[in-house]
Amino acid sequence: MEVDIQSLETFNQLAYEGSQQATAMLAQMTGIQADVEVTKITLMDRDDIGEELAGQSFVGIGFDLEGALVGDTTLVFEEACTGPIVEALPGGAAGDELVESSVEEIGNIMMSGFIDGWADFLGATIEHSPPQYIEATGADVLPDADDPNEQVFVFKSHIEWPGEDLHFYIYMLPAYDRLTELMADSGTGDDAVPVDKLSMFNEMTKEGTATAAANVTQMTGIETDAEVTQISFAPVEDVPKQVDNKAYVGTAVEFSGTPSGYLMILFDEESAMNVAEALMPMEPDGEGFTDMHESAIEEMGNIMTSGFIDGWANVLETSVDHTPPRVVHDMGRAIIDPLAAQVGQHQEHAFIIESHMQTDDLEFGCEIHALPDDAELRQALDDLDVARKDETEPDVERIFE
Amino acid sequence: MKVYDSSTGTASSPEQERVKVGIAEYEVTTSDETLTTSGLGSCLGVALYDDAAGVAGLVHVMLPSADGVEDPNAAKYADTGIETLLLEMERAGADRDRIRAKVAGGSDMLDFSENGSGIGVRNMQQVEATLDDLGVPLVSDDVGGDHGRSLRLDGASGDLMVKSANKGSKTI
Repeated sequence: MEVDIQSLETFNQLAYEGSQQATAMLAQMTGIQADVEVTKITLMDRDDIGEELAGQSFVGIGFDLEGALVGDTTLVFEEACTGPIVEALPGGAAGDELVESSVEEIGNIMMSGFIDGWADFLGATIEHSPPQYIEATGADVLPDADDPNEQVFVFKSHIEWPGEDLHFYIYMLPAYDRLTELMADSGTGDDAVPVDKLSMFNEMTKEGTATAAANVTQMTGIETDAEVTQISFAPVEDVPKQVDNKAYVGTAVEFSGTPSGYLMILFDEESAMNVAEALMPMEPDGEGFTDMHESAIEEMGNIMTSGFIDGWANVLETSVDHTPPRVVHDMGRAIIDPLAAQVGQHQEHAFIIESHMQTDDLEFGCEIHALPDDAELRQALDDLDVARKDETEPDVERIFE
Repeated sequence: MKVYDSSTGTASSPEQERVKVGIAEYEVTTSDETLTTSGLGSCLGVALYDDAAGVAGLVHVMLPSADGVEDPNAAKYADTGIETLLLEMERAGADRDRIRAKVAGGSDMLDFSENGSGIGVRNMQQVEATLDDLGVPLVSDDVGGDHGRSLRLDGASGDLMVKSANKGSKTI
């Protein structure tokens, strides 16, 4: 199945406009003015969806979609949102027993706003089921997975209420086959990306992340786990929003070959200290994050970058070179913004490859973000086809034998 | 884009609202709110204000010029972003002859370009050229270097506070 870049852009735009429409409905009913922060399409393991929700309490309003688009959509509100929503309703300050039905009703109207644009674009009707109210912690607010290991597309919007520091999210999980058919049908055939190969690229990235994680363990003795790998597609101006704006320490490189692009390995400050000190043969001189810490992070970043990029190069049977790592210690978004701008000189949207690793027993979190040039990523995926042309379906396990 | 004025009522209004300006977005205030934007690397924050009219605006631009881009998001580019912000401020009551500009950002951190100037430098060149074309004086700036910045524009005074992760903060 071939999906062109234009279709990905169109579908991302539909999800963004749908989220804006849903947010406008909320404003109409409650006077609450919220802003859609970011909307992106992500291809990832079904089981990892909602990982970013971990540990928080949510209220979800779930819907089944049928018709032109098939699948599940859930409006996910931080639990603290429901009070202000209900209070803002005409006649507000309802008793507890009315909270559920009020939130359901609002969800129902927001959902109609969300899918209208899709139905218009597809020229067909999309039905949605009555709302289902769910209170849950973390990803449990989303529907259960039929096949946890299956890779699926998810459309995710993050919506924020300025001044309130409250957030809600829209997760649309369309049936993969139906969605890819729709995307393939709506494209022009130019710049097509073989979507099945994108899944494979994700698998390659997982291997790269596993190698990078093994490097961390080998060098520091820190056992890492919970790796999540995903590939997303979003407008370049939304790329910096992929990271938090807190301070990070890490490395960035430019890589060149097929594909070329930029790769960042980022640690939050506390994790950077822990990793750096695990690498040092002796106690550092001085307080805080010293030059010794910095050079340890540089070394770590270099090795992790090589591990990660070599993983691609091996499977793609090409060579991918990279510049020496540059150490950065700054606000997360300021780190990624120059790289997004460099990619943005040639393209309006970008693929973002992200992996996360962490540990339970020590403060350790590491994020890897890669921004490939999209034309070269397509080329890399095509080459994969040529190199394995005797195989009709990509078979990751065979390639990694 | 929303214009924030004193008549905008939301369900809850904290005493002095802070209005966030995202990447490739702009906002205008006519009621002394504080406009903020964060995580500027090579991006630039361009603040325009007309003290007498009480109109201020902030745009967070990412790239120099929208030339050759089909159907661009105006606020993503320095040239179209500044023009759009200026027009919106005039619509809100600002007088172009009184409008002043302050600029911050445009760092050359993580600039991998081997030939010619990096994006941060080119962003600033475009901002200067566009302001010049529009006849808006640039009264102060804090640009370049190898660190990120976050900004806070006081809509009442036109004071622009520039914070960086490791280099403290200053007001320009």
